[in-house]
Amino acid sequence: MQGGSSGIGYGLKYQARCISDVKADTDHTSFITGTLSLREENEVHLIRLSSGGTELICEGLFSHPNEIWDLASCPFDQRIFSTVFSTGESYGAAIWQIPELYGQLNSPQLERIASLDAHVGKINRVLWWPSGRHDKLISIDDENLFLWTLDCSKKAAQVQSKQSSGMLHYLSGGAWDPHDINAVATTCESSVQFWDLRTMKKTNAIEHAHIHNANYDMKKNHILVTAEDESGIHIWDTRKPKSPIQELPGHTHWTWAVTCNPEYDGLILSAGTDSTVNLWMAPTSIEDEAISESIAESPAQQADPLLNSYSDYEDSVYGLAWSSREPWIFASLSYDGRVVVESIKPFLSRK
Amino acid sequence: MGAEDNVPLDDKAKRMRDLLSSFYAPDPSTNNAPSNPGTLDAINTSSFDADQYMNLLIQKSNLDELLQRHVEMAAEIKNIDTDLQMLVYENYSKFISATDAIKRMKSDIVGMEANMEQLLDKIMSVQSKIQFIYDLPTRLGKCIESEAYVDAVKFYTGALPIFKAYGDSSFQDCKQASEEAISIIGKLFSDSESIQARTEAAVLLKQLDFPVDSLQVKLLEKLEQSLGDLQLKTDDIENASMESNDPKLGKVPDSVHITAHEGSIRGFAEAISAYRVIFPDSEGHLIKLAQDLVVKHFETVEQCVKGRFSCANLLVVLRTIWTDVLLMDEVLSEAVLPGFSLEAAQNALKQHVASTFNYLLHDISDALLRLNVSSKEAAEENPLQVALEASKKALLQGSMDVLLDFRQLLDDDLGLLVQLRDFVSDWVQEGFQDFFRALYDRFFLLSGRKSSSSQDQGLTAGAHGEKVLAGLVLVLSQLSVFIEQTAIPRITEEIAASFPGGGARVYENGPAFVPGVMCRIFRSAGERLLHHYINMRTQKVSTLLRKRFTTPNWVKHKEPREVHMFVDLFLQELKETTSEVKQILPQGLERKHRRSDSNGSTASSRSNQLRDDKTNRSNTHKARSQLLETHLAKLFKQKVEIFTKVERTQESVVTTAVKLCLKSLQEFVRLQTFNRSGFQQIQLDIQFLRTPLKETVEDEAAVDFLLDEVIVAASERCLDPIPLEPPILDRLIQAKLAKWKEKNPITP
Repeated sequence: MQGGSSGIGYGLKYQARCISDVKADTDHTSFITGTLSLREENEVHLIRLSSGGTELICEGLFSHPNEIWDLASCPFDQRIFSTVFSTGESYGAAIWQIPELYGQLNSPQLERIASLDAHVGKINRVLWWPSGRHDKLISIDDENLFLWTLDCSKKAAQVQSKQSSGMLHYLSGGAWDPHDINAVATTCESSVQFWDLRTMKKTNAIEHAHIHNANYDMKKNHILVTAEDESGIHIWDTRKPKSPIQELPGHTHWTWAVTCNPEYDGLILSAGTDSTVNLWMAPTSIEDEAISESIAESPAQQADPLLNSYSDYEDSVYGLAWSSREPWIFASLSYDGRVVVESIKPFLSRK
Repeated sequence: MGAEDNVPLDDKAKRMRDLLSSFYAPDPSTNNAPSNPGTLDAINTSSFDADQYMNLLIQKSNLDELLQRHVEMAAEIKNIDTDLQMLVYENYSKFISATDAIKRMKSDIVGMEANMEQLLDKIMSVQSKIQFIYDLPTRLGKCIESEAYVDAVKFYTGALPIFKAYGDSSFQDCKQASEEAISIIGKLFSDSESIQARTEAAVLLKQLDFPVDSLQVKLLEKLEQSLGDLQLKTDDIENASMESNDPKLGKVPDSVHITAHEGSIRGFAEAISAYRVIFPDSEGHLIKLAQDLVVKHFETVEQCVKGRFSCANLLVVLRTIWTDVLLMDEVLSEAVLPGFSLEAAQNALKQHVASTFNYLLHDISDALLRLNVSSKEAAEENPLQVALEASKKALLQGSMDVLLDFRQLLDDDLGLLVQLRDFVSDWVQEGFQDFFRALYDRFFLLSGRKSSSSQDQGLTAGAHGEKVLAGLVLVLSQLSVFIEQTAIPRITEEIAASFPGGGARVYENGPAFVPGVMCRIFRSAGERLLHHYINMRTQKVSTLLRKRFTTPNWVKHKEPREVHMFVDLFLQELKETTSEVKQILPQGLERKHRRSDSNGSTASSRSNQLRDDKTNRSNTHKARSQLLETHLAKLFKQKVEIFTKVERTQESVVTTAVKLCLKSLQEFVRLQTFNRSGFQQIQLDIQFLRTPLKETVEDEAAVDFLLDEVIVAASERCLDPIPLEPPILDRLIQAKLAKWKEKNPITP
């Protein structure tokens, strides 16, 4: 069990799938997470890493009406976040605000700013533009892509435009390009599709099966990392959708989530249903396509792209988030409701 | 004096002439027709009878007439007389002058004798010379016929001054004929006579004062042409060796060709040496020519080694070339042909090594790809086993053949090869290194793991045109192990025994063939391919499960009536996997779970939770403490490892596949929300799976645990988790079993 003891743990009461970095909180390294329990009362936890970096402190505990399938913190307001939830029979999505004086209240209630209730199908994700203040939101359900205009002060969200993904494309998630405010990628069973939000038209597609998760490189334009069931992790240049730039083995079972480090080039985290989190070093210089081939050439001489495998988890890991404030820190969340925050500092030196 | 001219002449002149002519004429009677003596005209004839004439005249004429006749006759007589006088005078003067001449002659003739003799001599000598000139063409012809060109030229050059002096006049014909004959010598250039003959001819032509420059150029052209001829012969060797290669005997090609070739090379060499003698300043050209020949030789060799070309054949060709080179070197050492050809031979051998290994690679791929064909026909019972054995044989036997083949190169004492021995050793080792690298790439190409970015044509089409068979991947995996454990050690051994040292070059990265690295590569390839195989197999199940779980509306599921058919499909897939695995994987020795190799884990604690749930069905508010309990329990309970290291045994592979499938099943369940019936359906399906799965797998505990986990996951995702009553569960399972046995008489 390598690296087992280094992590700082935090237990949620119930099972959970999603965790998000509170990017707008520039004073602390904080994460927000929510539980997934069909029959119990669900909670949203605001967790802060203590200044010494030795323990995780619960900064806020709020009840949430339904089990949370997706959760994302607003990148420009630390008190705002979005959730996708399910009652078991139907799905919904909402934008929430953490009450200002929650520290002093006995039972603080989350304030619902807006309900994204134009959806009929199963909602998968709500996306914020990752790079800064933007009044638009994207929500994705099975069949449609919605662009919302959010007005926090008026507490209103309006559908700006909507586009159906087309027949037989059941959307499962997506990612908003941090480099292009008008570009978004959606994942479905057989491909990754790229959309231009101005026209709401498909611009491109990567035909590749079983993609669970996609993540844009924050630093490098055009680089998209995807996670798949069996075939692991692929790194794509979105301008060359025919074949990936690089391939990483991924996990023993499904690779569920994948995320690029916001600061360090080529550092990729992946979480899998084999109860591990893997840290990869995959330099993605676009010109250097020879890398993937030279791996086969001499695997013995090539440095193993796997820097570390964190395996101290008891169940599948679905939630994964880098801290944007301290980019050497990441939080992971396994299905059994355990948050583990780890520092990758020991591996940075190897770079 | 024509009679016609007489017409204007008067009678007198005529008569004069007649007289003269009668005087000189030997027989006047023939001139004059015998006239009738009875007429008056007969006076001018020889048979003239004066009395008769008189009688006749008197008889016929009267007096006047007689008188007139008399006058006439008198005048005539006078005239004749004068004429006669004239005649005599003229003849006399002629006689006088003739006498004078005789007198003069008499005095001149003295001293003539000596001159005459001199003249005779001179005439005699001229006559013999003229005879020689006249005979020259024939003689030259004869010389040429008997190929005594030297003599011919000698003769010709001897006669040349005469031809120069009198060629245009007296001896024109002879000169032409001789030149024609001599030009035959010139023609020898264009004939297919031997090079040597031509060289001789060149020497002679030089003697004949042919322009040297054009001669040189011409001869060079000839030599160049002869290069072409020599070249052709190498092609013959190729053909011959290709033919002899057909019956796979590696027979030495037709030696006739070789000797013929050697002969012509010898001629070529002689021509070169002669040429050098004639044109001392022509080395540059000759060197170029000789080198061209060597280059062409090696071009042929390189052409040859592109095909399947055994070392024995290569040896024959190289030997020929080397002989050529040595022959030419004798006469033209300035061309440094041995060094030159050494370099060329290096390239050729290198290419040969490369192409040999390339073919070996092809053979192995062919053996493997036959699997695709045979599985379509489904003719063989154990296609995987057959393919594995075939490819193993192709690999090992092929490698050994290659080594044996190259061994011949080392054993040969050909001067060329002796110098290259170390290189050959290196190349063979390098060749194996590259070969295994290429094989490794090929494996992944065939397995479909690698995108066709590595531009390997030919096979790419075959491998990507259709879906890659999972079985092929398993075969590849086994083959990798074979390579690592058997083939590479054997080859290493063989190389150590037969190809010592090498080291002609300094390697930055150590020796050329590093069996350790290769073993490592193939060990990892074997593992990767085995994993790939398992992935491919589980992926099919995964697709099945995905459909199963995403299609129905689980929240509105109806009460379970029977075990769902996806179970059949799942078991069917498993059966296929088992049958494939049984063909080529060894049986595991122990049916024991090995914990130490695990790289992932999950606690089985929550299955206890389920069992608790079974008893306390409606006790939902206990859940919180239960979760705490599970956390606590995990600390104490021994973990059941799911993702253990795959071993290369039938059981381990199947077990791993089953585990992965069940884990996927669990994950799919976790993504859904079930009503009570939906949950019960899952419970039923899983319960049914329990028995056949346990029969198939090695790690019963892990499978049991995973099956429990699926039910736990379903209950967690259930709005109203009330399991089926055991009797109903049992009844449904029995019903399914009965149906199943009906369909599959033999239980898997």
